[in-house]
Amino acid sequence: MSHLLAARIRTGLLWAAAVAVVALYAFPLGYLVLTSFKPAVDAIAVPPTVLPQRFSLDNYLTALQRPGVTASFVNSVSTAVIATLLSMALAIPAAWAITRYRSRTGRILMAGSLLVRMAPAVAVGIPLVTILGAVGLTDTPTGLALAQTTVALPLSIWLLASFFEGVPREIEEAALVDGCGRFTALRRVILPVVSGGVAVTAIFAFLASWNEFLFALLLTSVRAQTTPIAIANFQSQFGLDWGPMTALATLYSVPAVVLTLLLQRRIVAGLSLGAVKG
Amino acid sequence: MTRTAPVAPPRTPSAPAPGTAAVRRRSRARGRLSDAGYATLLAAPAAVVLLALVGWPLVKLVVDSLYTGSGLGDGRSFAGLDNYLTALTDPGIRAAAGRTLAYTVIVVTAELVLGLAVALLFHRLGPKARILQTLFLYPLMIAPVVAGLLWRFLMIDNVGIVNELLTRVGLLDNPGDVSWLSDPDLVLFSVALPDIWLTTSFMTLVLYAGLQAIPPDLYEAARLDGARGLRLLVSVTLPLLRPVIAVALIIRGVDAARAFDVILIQTDGGPQSASETLSLTIYKTMVSYNDPGTAAATSTLFMIVMMLVAMVAVLTIWRPGKES
Repeated sequence: MSHLLAARIRTGLLWAAAVAVVALYAFPLGYLVLTSFKPAVDAIAVPPTVLPQRFSLDNYLTALQRPGVTASFVNSVSTAVIATLLSMALAIPAAWAITRYRSRTGRILMAGSLLVRMAPAVAVGIPLVTILGAVGLTDTPTGLALAQTTVALPLSIWLLASFFEGVPREIEEAALVDGCGRFTALRRVILPVVSGGVAVTAIFAFLASWNEFLFALLLTSVRAQTTPIAIANFQSQFGLDWGPMTALATLYSVPAVVLTLLLQRRIVAGLSLGAVKG
Repeated sequence: MTRTAPVAPPRTPSAPAPGTAAVRRRSRARGRLSDAGYATLLAAPAAVVLLALVGWPLVKLVVDSLYTGSGLGDGRSFAGLDNYLTALTDPGIRAAAGRTLAYTVIVVTAELVLGLAVALLFHRLGPKARILQTLFLYPLMIAPVVAGLLWRFLMIDNVGIVNELLTRVGLLDNPGDVSWLSDPDLVLFSVALPDIWLTTSFMTLVLYAGLQAIPPDLYEAARLDGARGLRLLVSVTLPLLRPVIAVALIIRGVDAARAFDVILIQTDGGPQSASETLSLTIYKTMVSYNDPGTAAATSTLFMIVMMLVAMVAVLTIWRPGKES
């Protein structure tokens, strides 16, 4: 009986510990959202309070009325969409070549992707400024998307390769017997089988671009400025204007959180695969 | 699916099983690509894009590192290895390299310890703790810029909620007692906090996946031998997790060493360069001091060291394929 009681107490303590850890971990994010709904003056009150005394949407209105903020959202979306589409269009055939045919080009590409991951972004970004400038792509969403593809593409190749590994090659062979060409088989038979993995990879590619900062800082000035840069500019231009900043930061986090919710379980699988594979 | 692609061979009743040598020989006779050729064709676009967007910039970087003067027009002249000499002897750059190492060690150690603790906790609680696990993942989706600004907001002297809460629970006498971001002795730890907050979830997730792959009967056997608690962790869990820990350490180590946005947003490298890591130094050498030669030489050295360290780590710690 006392054994049972001891075990119960131990489990209870473990649960309490887990809840405490998660609460502590979630606190900064919760505080960000709570602050965004405080009136601007209360956001920087001394001493600070956790809960809003009054609920207000002023910070959101102020943030969205700042020049360039709405345009930056449009730029962020178009850049991330271009980078994602480009990465997926290139990574799907490459990953299939790597897993199904074990070609030498594929292996080199795999190793190359790993090396790219180790190169500091500044080392790639600084020369890219001149190169993209020479082809007239500075300060455009397309130019920035191309730069961000250097991050999203290697990641996509590795992730997709691990998802493709689970596809039995009999599926392709059956499609070939049915008269499909190899490319048609990939498009019409293999891809539907791994659609979940493709979706997760696309989300990771999208988030990589959505959250990216350094290339956006180096490669955009006015026309193609993305929201992370707009958020960063808040503090230098307007001093300690924290209220609207928390509002913009909250808004910017919404798409990422929604995408994650949609594919929650698969994303966990994708993250652990990505971790083990690089 | 019945609409056939132009490359598909007509289906004949006598067709041998696909993948056999006969089929391959026949398709080649019809002028179709071999498997290897087809695979190369599929991988080529990605390879070309990576070569253009990464290979070319890196070659340009190495070439630029051999010249002095600002990039365009006059004033650019061949300098040989002078920029490398500057990069290796400049006290500011050397200090930044030291700080980068310290920052990486702080971030990775904290993440490994916290990540392992939380992973063990979630593993003990099992699938019933799924909601908690999901909540724990959220920082991973947040933009580093947002995380940097958020933590700056949490830690601003006097006004920050961190010091306010520490004062309320009695750990500080006064909210102004600790200046997280303006004390040069403390700032490297302070700027590491958002990074640790953002990616401990990643470490937890990877280690949790690793823990679930350990067969339960191994624990049974160890328990029968009298192993309990900490002993079980040290002699059973950790050795079995070794490959997973190694991969996670390499990935996080590489990322932490490259840290840029989180630090730039919080302190811009200050005060007195006390939080300026190599990526920031390179960025400033380029953009603020307009010295592309030294910036390129420093980046090249940084990249070579990172690749060497990572490769040694992969070969000695991870040893893919050498252990079951």
